[in-house]
Amino acid sequence: MDPAATSRSPLARRMATVVGDRNVVTEPEELLVYECDGLVHGRTRPDLVVLPGSTAEVVEVVRLAREAGVPLVPRGAGTGLSGGARPVPGSVVVSLARMRRILELDLENGWARVEPGVINLDVTKAVAGAGWYYAPDPSSQSVCSIGGNVAENSGGAHCLKYGFTTHHVLAARVVLSDGSVVDLGGPAADAPGYDLLAALVGSEGMLGITVEATLRLLRRPEATRTFFATFPSTDEAGAAVSGIIAAGILPAAIEMMDRLAIVAAKAATGLDWPDVGAALLMDADGTRAEVEHVSARAVEIARASGALEIRLPRDEAERQLMWKGRKCAFAAVGRISPSYLVEDGVIPRSEIARVLREIERLAGEAGLRVANVFHAGDGNLHPLVLYDARNPGEEARAVALGAEILRLCIRSGGSITGEHGVGAEKASFMAEQFSADDLETMQRVRCAFDGAALMNPGKVFPTPRLCGERPGPYRPHPAEVAGLAERW
Amino acid sequence: MSAAPRPGAPEDAILGVAPRLAIEPATLEEAAEAMRALAADRLAVAFLGGGTDLGLGTPPARLDAALRTRRLARVREHAPSDQIVAVEAGMTLGALQRHLAPHGQRLALDPPLPEEATVGGIVAANAFGPRRARFGPVRDLVIGVTVVRADGTVARGGGKVVKNVAGFDLPRLLCGSLGTLGLVAEVVFRLHPLPEASATVAIPGLAPEAVRAATLAALEARLEPVAVAALPDGERFRLAVRFEGFGPGVRDQVERLLALPAAAGGREVLEGKDEAALWAGHDALVRAGDVRVKAAFLPSGLAAAAAALRPLAAALGRGALVLHPTLGIAVLSGALAEPARAAAALEAARVALRPRNGSAVLAAAPPALRALADPWGAPPPALEIMRRLKGELDPDARLAPGRFAGGL
Repeated sequence: MDPAATSRSPLARRMATVVGDRNVVTEPEELLVYECDGLVHGRTRPDLVVLPGSTAEVVEVVRLAREAGVPLVPRGAGTGLSGGARPVPGSVVVSLARMRRILELDLENGWARVEPGVINLDVTKAVAGAGWYYAPDPSSQSVCSIGGNVAENSGGAHCLKYGFTTHHVLAARVVLSDGSVVDLGGPAADAPGYDLLAALVGSEGMLGITVEATLRLLRRPEATRTFFATFPSTDEAGAAVSGIIAAGILPAAIEMMDRLAIVAAKAATGLDWPDVGAALLMDADGTRAEVEHVSARAVEIARASGALEIRLPRDEAERQLMWKGRKCAFAAVGRISPSYLVEDGVIPRSEIARVLREIERLAGEAGLRVANVFHAGDGNLHPLVLYDARNPGEEARAVALGAEILRLCIRSGGSITGEHGVGAEKASFMAEQFSADDLETMQRVRCAFDGAALMNPGKVFPTPRLCGERPGPYRPHPAEVAGLAERW
Repeated sequence: MSAAPRPGAPEDAILGVAPRLAIEPATLEEAAEAMRALAADRLAVAFLGGGTDLGLGTPPARLDAALRTRRLARVREHAPSDQIVAVEAGMTLGALQRHLAPHGQRLALDPPLPEEATVGGIVAANAFGPRRARFGPVRDLVIGVTVVRADGTVARGGGKVVKNVAGFDLPRLLCGSLGTLGLVAEVVFRLHPLPEASATVAIPGLAPEAVRAATLAALEARLEPVAVAALPDGERFRLAVRFEGFGPGVRDQVERLLALPAAAGGREVLEGKDEAALWAGHDALVRAGDVRVKAAFLPSGLAAAAAALRPLAAALGRGALVLHPTLGIAVLSGALAEPARAAAALEAARVALRPRNGSAVLAAAPPALRALADPWGAPPPALEIMRRLKGELDPDARLAPGRFAGGL
């Protein structure tokens, strides 16, 4: 045993007996990487990180933590953008990174059973040769893991037609905070009982640790047609999106970028995109005849809405390049700003033009720039608030602007998050989007799974609540007191 | 503002259990008030929509009151350009579709009896129709829900935008919960455009193996049907494959399906009234008789499932089996003739279907069969969490107690 291991806490030593010495992390410099996820400006150092290699090890890790009364923070690849994997003080981070086997492929029935550490894109790679793929495609799909996707109900550009992670998870094996292992759902449909799998997906690690997921696979569509259209401003681009949807077209994806995002993507990729106010990138997929028809119709609508130029990729390589420009847009913004915040608000699609103008106005008031690159088809905005942390007060102004943008989304009838999750970062906004009763109801669901409240505390909910604790005694309604109920 | 209770009537009974009282709130506030009053008196209550799926489940262990949703029947908000609709629970699917159609939209759910089935009941019962092959189950179309809890608390989950991951997914969790976790009072749905064209190819005389083969051939050819169902055709099946979309796409898919060797022999292409009649025939078939069984299995096990269900079909009068080859679901309907034989055949089918989470649930059955077979089959594997969930949301077990799987 190395010297570091001997100086470990009793809990760390017990954990090491379960997962092995080298799968327990206690050295401060090694813990650094676990202080945050993809959201880097909120950090908490965990006491301990363990990397179990099997379901049995996860069960033992959970039992040891429970005995010690220590909270657990499940962690996938650490690419989350809402602080969903941010530790709380004194917590044990459970990294599922070692559990990365594809356990079973059943292409007769279209599913794959995988461990949580499997990388999203690797699922597709495993079945692509046979003409299948896994639909959810977050921009981070080459590095993010399935366990994290399940926790956050991750989305991607093609959600518009194909839905989110929750549409594609058929079953999960979960370790609960009491150390029990439960199977939720199944590859066969409609098993009797409550749809607990629905509660699990998107529960941000608060219900249990997913140790296996059975994922629905899809056959690659016969044809995909892509076009890139430029517009004088986001007004015309927004009108084109509305027109395409109103024509009864369901694109596989329809993405919008504003001027700043286009500039950034050009700088990062060398694409020869023009300097315009807005651009759309649309995919239509399905059978060839349907797609040709739909794509031609969408191009007509884009022109009629004021498109400056329409580009059709000559081949798959050029198509991939167009998508690269879109998918790297977050990182590309780093080319035009030293720092930026990513927001993930959702608004009704019909409000896109108005909300973008409002964001521009708010940004002007704050003296900051906002780049917009987002999933226009489902109104999922990704405002990137640009700032320079070296300028005193600018980061605080950026955070405040981000908050105002989220409030604008809520006021517009939308949501504070479309795919990144609430995490630690946006928990305080939940009380603005939901009532106390809404949140209390969700907390009861949590209590059914994790009565000890050991799983990923501090996420999603603005106010922690103990299970079994009821918010005040039952008070009869005045009508009951007045005798209404007596008649019953 | 309150809805006065009235004495219970025979039409308010659930699986033969008649409540003393019935109440018909006309607003969400009235529904919440009624639930608070019921809570104060610790009365057991069950929710009634159009009554089309009342055959599901076990009779409630006790039932003091029925809460009918038929006066909660308004469209609260329809945003055509956002393709969403918020609707009260008691509106029938047919009325909702008529509201949406002038806007070129529909809710992509097609369970039988749309003029009776209410949206709240469809959500609670996880009702489905053939288009589930394309659009998924109810859970994939529900984006928001307003629930009145057992204690009268009004809580919302989800929202009015399709893409939304804020908070736990209460809307999906409530799908199929059969009113045992709360009253689904309002639902927000995602909508789809009405298709420009539709056509159905019907291929007769297929054994279950051939149904599976023809379905696979169509999918491997990258055709994208919206519905695939195999209806009884003598001892064999007539496979109906429906395409919807824009005209050129539908025509192309029909031609390509007809060209597949696996789809050879006596095919018909149905459009318009003929097509509607075929699918209406499907609806009538699954609702015929007094026994209905929904079986689920892996799609690759289609022929084995059909074989496992044959003895049960034979035990019923006019037993008819409908297969959904892409979903891995079969619906068996018929008239109860020999309860003991039917119960034994159901249990045998359950054993055969059990691998990979397969199941066979009684969706309708007379008391004589219920007395011999649990409508749900074996308790669910995660029953303990389900019990705790029920305890969290309905701590006094007053919402249709005992009606749901596992005695919940």
